[in-house]
Amino acid sequence: MSQGLVARDVVMRFGGVLALDGAAIEVVPGRIVGLIGRNGSGKSTMFNCITGFVRPTEGRIDLDGAPITGLPPHRVVRAGIARTFQTPRVDLRATVREAVLCGCYPLGRCGFVSAFLGLTSAVREEIRLREQADGVLRQVNLAPLGDQQIGKLAMGQVRLVEVARGIAAGARYLLLDEPAAGLTQSERNMLADAIRVVAKSGVGVLLVEHNFAFVRALCETITVLEAGRVLAVGTADEIAADHRVIESYLGSEPAALVEPA
Amino acid sequence: MTYWRARSNTLVLLACATLAGAVAARDPAWLDIAIAIVINALVALSVGLTFGQAGILSAAQGSFAAIGAYTTAILTVRLGWSPWLALPVAIALPAGLGHGLARLVTRLAPLAVALATLTLSAIIEIVLRSWDNLTGGYVGLAGIPSVFAGQPIAFYGLAVGMLALAVLAYENLMLSRFGRGLTTIRGDRARAIADGIAVPGLLSAAFALAAAMAGAGGWLYAHYFSYLSPGSLGTELSISVLLMMVVGGARHILGPVAGAVILGVLAQLLPAQEVQGLFYGGALIVILLVARNGLLGLVRREGTL
Amino acid sequence: MGYLAELVVRGVLLGAVYALLALPMSLTFVTVGSIDFALGAYAVLAAAVGSTVGGLAGIAAGLGAALAAAVAMAAIFAGLKRAGVEEPITISLASFGLAVAIGSLILSIWGTRAFMLHSFDDVWVMLGIRISPQSLINFAIGMLLLALVYLLLYRTGLGRMMRAAAINPLGAELSGIPVTTLQTGTFISGGLLGGIAGLLILFSAGLDFTAGLSLTLSCFGAAILLGAHGPIRAFLGGILMGVVEALSSGLASGAVSAIVPLVVIMIVLALGAVGGVRFAGDRP
Repeated sequence: MSQGLVARDVVMRFGGVLALDGAAIEVVPGRIVGLIGRNGSGKSTMFNCITGFVRPTEGRIDLDGAPITGLPPHRVVRAGIARTFQTPRVDLRATVREAVLCGCYPLGRCGFVSAFLGLTSAVREEIRLREQADGVLRQVNLAPLGDQQIGKLAMGQVRLVEVARGIAAGARYLLLDEPAAGLTQSERNMLADAIRVVAKSGVGVLLVEHNFAFVRALCETITVLEAGRVLAVGTADEIAADHRVIESYLGSEPAALVEPA
Repeated sequence: MTYWRARSNTLVLLACATLAGAVAARDPAWLDIAIAIVINALVALSVGLTFGQAGILSAAQGSFAAIGAYTTAILTVRLGWSPWLALPVAIALPAGLGHGLARLVTRLAPLAVALATLTLSAIIEIVLRSWDNLTGGYVGLAGIPSVFAGQPIAFYGLAVGMLALAVLAYENLMLSRFGRGLTTIRGDRARAIADGIAVPGLLSAAFALAAAMAGAGGWLYAHYFSYLSPGSLGTELSISVLLMMVVGGARHILGPVAGAVILGVLAQLLPAQEVQGLFYGGALIVILLVARNGLLGLVRREGTL
Repeated sequence: MGYLAELVVRGVLLGAVYALLALPMSLTFVTVGSIDFALGAYAVLAAAVGSTVGGLAGIAAGLGAALAAAVAMAAIFAGLKRAGVEEPITISLASFGLAVAIGSLILSIWGTRAFMLHSFDDVWVMLGIRISPQSLINFAIGMLLLALVYLLLYRTGLGRMMRAAAINPLGAELSGIPVTTLQTGTFISGGLLGGIAGLLILFSAGLDFTAGLSLTLSCFGAAILLGAHGPIRAFLGGILMGVVEALSSGLASGAVSAIVPLVVIMIVLALGAVGGVRFAGDRP
């Protein structure tokens, strides 16, 4: 099928390191896909290849049938693929609303000149963008925090803001980079709820995460990477029972496999 | 109206400038100083836009002003154009040059960009000094037609009007998605890219706008002082507007304007022309050590929005 | 052909002086990330004081003056760091302020005259090429100082610490290496080498109060020409820069000859010699 974000046969070589060796993954709109693996398995490289921050040595990445391999990252964003950062990149003094508003950038039609001339079209567009941002805030339950400074928020809320900023421009795919790291259990639940809401609205979600319990609770499909290659693909139960995955993870997070979600 | 409430900087500027004008009108010497301050403020505003918002330290704003000034001087003196016709050219030429330079270097680290502007400034100065046929070389160009000749108050009004328009453009920009984009770029380029911003394009556009402002300042200079030499606008101006920006507060829209006023007044107290550099350089160091966010940074904690 | 060779030789010898300034410039750039814009000013200051006092005492006084100025810069750097400022742009801006201040100071005290002394009146002829003995001395001193800096960096404990601080400031700090002290040291070395360079130029081409910033710019070009990574590259860059300037002033006239080196610098900058935004396998 031509719908979907599909990466195939991705090879990434830099210096003398072979970070990815024929890795592949597929994300479908409305579904949540997990990407797990040990440190050094190539998760982050794969992430960067899909989002355009790094150009793969070989391989194809297609978005709904159209190739996006090697596109510069801001073009990838404009094509409809949003990403978050593991360490949230935010201006602590900005408010939640301002941060999400930044994510609305690609929706603007008026040019630079219209903007500094203060033309009516630009002023009206600004109002439109603010309405859009408010809508996104409501969608992820951040509306009451709209005027709060980000520096005053708990980590869990900051991660939510990152998610909101990512989907603010109506991206069809959202790539999350270890959003659950460092969160309390209740924050993780809040985040998981928000991700489910986003997926339900038709967005395809790719979740790169270390916390297997979190991945298991959210993802219908999980891809496991090992040494730059796909070790296994399947449902959460299949993966949890796969002895190759257990071996690969042994020494990483053995307890996580049996922990309740 | 909320439109103007959000653009308070322009209104504050107009109010203060009107007041200052009323005071300065009583003495022609004061009016002279006031006009010089407004011209400096326009060029300082341009550094504020590039550095305070886009994070690009430009040592070339004085040179862009020089290009604007020489453009209008050449067009009016050698080709007999009307100053008003020359104005758009005096603004467009530096803007084009600024855009081109920015396109070339914005992907580089901030220090490299600053050095590129310094290099460009040096090149422009040499060109202005040597292209005798066009620019008059060392001797410069004299007899540039005055605008509002014999009516300094009218000229002051014109200068303030142009400054106000520049501040309004700056405010409009910061209130738009491009302003937010610049702020993001300044803080974290990767974040800006992930927001879907084409970073070199936006930076170049901002830089072009700033160069246009500086060019406008040059136009005002040429048609007030009626005489230009390679030393009138250039490296010295680039340095002093940097200081004005730092003193007044780089992040605040009116910061550079405040700096221009403060330094313009203080410069009257300097004993001689030679020690100007000592004053500017020393003051720059002191401010960087003691009050990095400038005067407006001390008064107002938050950002410009 | 003989003329061309002469230009190249002249350039190499001139370049040795640029190399002298390129060395501390690259050291500061690698350890602090900033450019000391006042390097050229140290040189002019040394030349001004040296020519006024005269003789051997003049040389000592000139070096002293340059060192004093560099100590001022080091103090400014320490002050900025203590105030929490680490951005290279801000530190460079402060050094720019110092450069302007020193230039104005020189103008106020000495006026617009040029500082130039002559130690040798004759010109030697080697293999049909005219060489001034002073420029040979400049070159020899330059090579000597390069050797000393190289030995310092690669053969001493101090040098090891400096290289460690350059590669990984945080790691070095945690290992007990006094990073700030070392960084301050690079500024002071700029004063020393800048002072020497200024005195050498005093005895060859001469300087005036405007030379500070343009000298800094030329030496910056020298430092980045072959990559700002190490003393040898900086030194060779200096030589190369000297050759570029000698060729352009010998082969082209007036404005063009002054612009060519600047265009070279612009090109090297545009090619990304001073770092850009890069991402690799790590998350950005």
